[in-house]
Amino acid sequence: MRLRPTHLRTRLTLWYVSVLASLLILAWGGTCALLFWQLRSQLDHFSVQEIETVEGLFFFTPDGQLRLREDYHNHPESKEVIERFLEVRSPDGAVLFRNDRLGNRELGESPFQGEGVGGYSERSARLSDGTRVRLVSRIHTLEGHHLLIRLAHSEEPLFSRLNDLLLASLLVLPLVLVVAGIAGYGLARRALSPIEQMARRAQEISPERLSARLPNDQADDELGQLARVFNDTLARLEQAFEQLRRFTSDASHELRTPLAMIRSVGEVGLQKDGTREDYRDIIGSMLEEVNRLTSLIDNLLTISRADSGHIQLHRVVVPIMALAREAAGLFEILLEEKSLRLVLEGDERAQVAGDCLFLRQALVNILHNAVKYSPVGETIFVLVRNGDTNQITIEIQDSGPGIPLEDQARVFDRFYRVDKARWRESGGAGLGLSIAKWAVEAHGGSIGLESAPGRGCSFRIILPSAGTVTIKSCQGDPGDCLDRK
Amino acid sequence: MQSKRVGSYKGSVHILVVEDEQKMAKALQEGLEADDYSVRVAHTGEEGFYLVQAQRFDLVILDVMLPGHDGFEILATLRKRGIKTPVLLLTSRDAIEDRVRGLDTGADDYLVKPFAFPELLARTRVLLRRGRPDVSQRLKLADLEMDVAQRSVVRGGQQIELTHREFELLEYLLANQGRVVSREMLARDIWKETARQTPLDNVIDAQIVRLRRKLDGHFERKLLHTVRGVGFVLREEDES
Repeated sequence: MRLRPTHLRTRLTLWYVSVLASLLILAWGGTCALLFWQLRSQLDHFSVQEIETVEGLFFFTPDGQLRLREDYHNHPESKEVIERFLEVRSPDGAVLFRNDRLGNRELGESPFQGEGVGGYSERSARLSDGTRVRLVSRIHTLEGHHLLIRLAHSEEPLFSRLNDLLLASLLVLPLVLVVAGIAGYGLARRALSPIEQMARRAQEISPERLSARLPNDQADDELGQLARVFNDTLARLEQAFEQLRRFTSDASHELRTPLAMIRSVGEVGLQKDGTREDYRDIIGSMLEEVNRLTSLIDNLLTISRADSGHIQLHRVVVPIMALAREAAGLFEILLEEKSLRLVLEGDERAQVAGDCLFLRQALVNILHNAVKYSPVGETIFVLVRNGDTNQITIEIQDSGPGIPLEDQARVFDRFYRVDKARWRESGGAGLGLSIAKWAVEAHGGSIGLESAPGRGCSFRIILPSAGTVTIKSCQGDPGDCLDRK
Repeated sequence: MQSKRVGSYKGSVHILVVEDEQKMAKALQEGLEADDYSVRVAHTGEEGFYLVQAQRFDLVILDVMLPGHDGFEILATLRKRGIKTPVLLLTSRDAIEDRVRGLDTGADDYLVKPFAFPELLARTRVLLRRGRPDVSQRLKLADLEMDVAQRSVVRGGQQIELTHREFELLEYLLANQGRVVSREMLARDIWKETARQTPLDNVIDAQIVRLRRKLDGHFERKLLHTVRGVGFVLREEDES
């Protein structure tokens, strides 16, 4: 983790330098080409002017030799004329004249069709000794003879200047790149320093120190965004960890309570001599605690499997009314014992694509709660509504003592019990509602509670509706959807 | 120790318990012996494997978590060698995969620790009786008589009116008379509840109270007893 920013910094710098180098080379090359082209066209222009001047200086000697008037040399610009290469040929290619500078060298190949007619045929060529020249041609008529005048200037100075330029750039470019590289490295380092800082801080984060947060999450740039995303993740992790920690400590407390009882009952039982009856009673009492422990562990296992996402829902179409009727049927005897009335009303067509087992578990747990806390002779309502927003609402209302406002938010928390002193006689370890909540949420639904002290509880489960299709239902025999396990 | 076919008296039924935990092994041995089975204990898988091959057992109770070769391996090897002795697997892992694996390997039944002892006895009986269903149309205990076909219950010449569930409950208790029946067994067999988490204990207790009121209410001799911490038993003598 610590090496990475360095790598990135180097990589950035390398990228930067190579991009800069290619841009510079491109720009330099472009400039050179442009310069060369301009100089050459200037040369052409100059040659054209000169060829026009030279045309008037040719004459034939009486013996038919072509000569160039030499007095022209007195003119100041004569120097230019001397530096040029000049050759005159007849249209059939015979050399009529070569100036001193050209000597015996050929200026271009044999004349080609249309050379120097109506223009100057500018082109590059090489002398026989390899000198690069820029050549123009012109057909001139003197005393009835067609003369092909070729005039050229050496391109060598042009190339040597170009070479100088390239040499200069070859010296300067690396220097520029080195400077740019150093500057770029510094910049990259500066830009990445928050990341390094964040990395250092992130390294300090451990399960014990999850409260630490990354710096510069206030910044509006990409790094700030990164820090914010990271911090959000940390916050969620911290919450999950906190939950886990509380869960573990609650769980061990819950496990310890029955264990303490088993131990005490056993130890006290051993201390005194008892009758056979007494011992039976002691063992029975210990076994009761063992049963409590067993069911607690069963519940914990369910929860841990749910938490780790190992539970897969086997979805079928579940008619809610049938499911509720079946779940309520389970408590029939308890209802009778307490003279409770259970009213189940709602839309028979309401159905959910869900796992019978877990949906039933959710309903059973909430109903169990309602039955447990309802005073004798009251009524429990189970209302199923098939809303038009593709949602099914199941409301379970009791007329129990209700739940104080400050406890309502935590009712679905694990191990949470409103009446902490009385839970043992009413049974359960405060896991039923949290399992119900998990089951409902695993189906993409939600569960909520409305309650006021003395006015009972109303649990509301909202589940996504399965429409009216029927694939397979668990209506009728409840074992149908339970046998699977 | 000679082995016979599953005979008329239990003493000739030989059960091998393969369990490495000394306490558990001892409890299993004593519990099964109290139910008149002849029990042999092996503390390692290898010992168990050797014993099964050396002599004939009517049932093997095999712990999955064994040092060295685990229960699954032992079972697989036994089945590979064509040994068809019924096997009841014991495990502390309540994972469905484990259950499936166990049954796939050739186990005849599967019990998750911690289990209620009456449950183990019930499963043992089922495995030993397998293939010979014991259908009895008339069940009797002391002055209590049940006619399953007629769905009528008479005690001391008096007809007792029972609801459907009470009838099933009594039938189950009568079929298991003299043996303790746990709440888990009732939840599974009478209420058809497979999820162990379902809060049925209150329901079962209330149902038992009802049944007892109808059954024993007017009689001096009580038949339906609660065994604290374990379950219920239907029997003549008043022990607890």
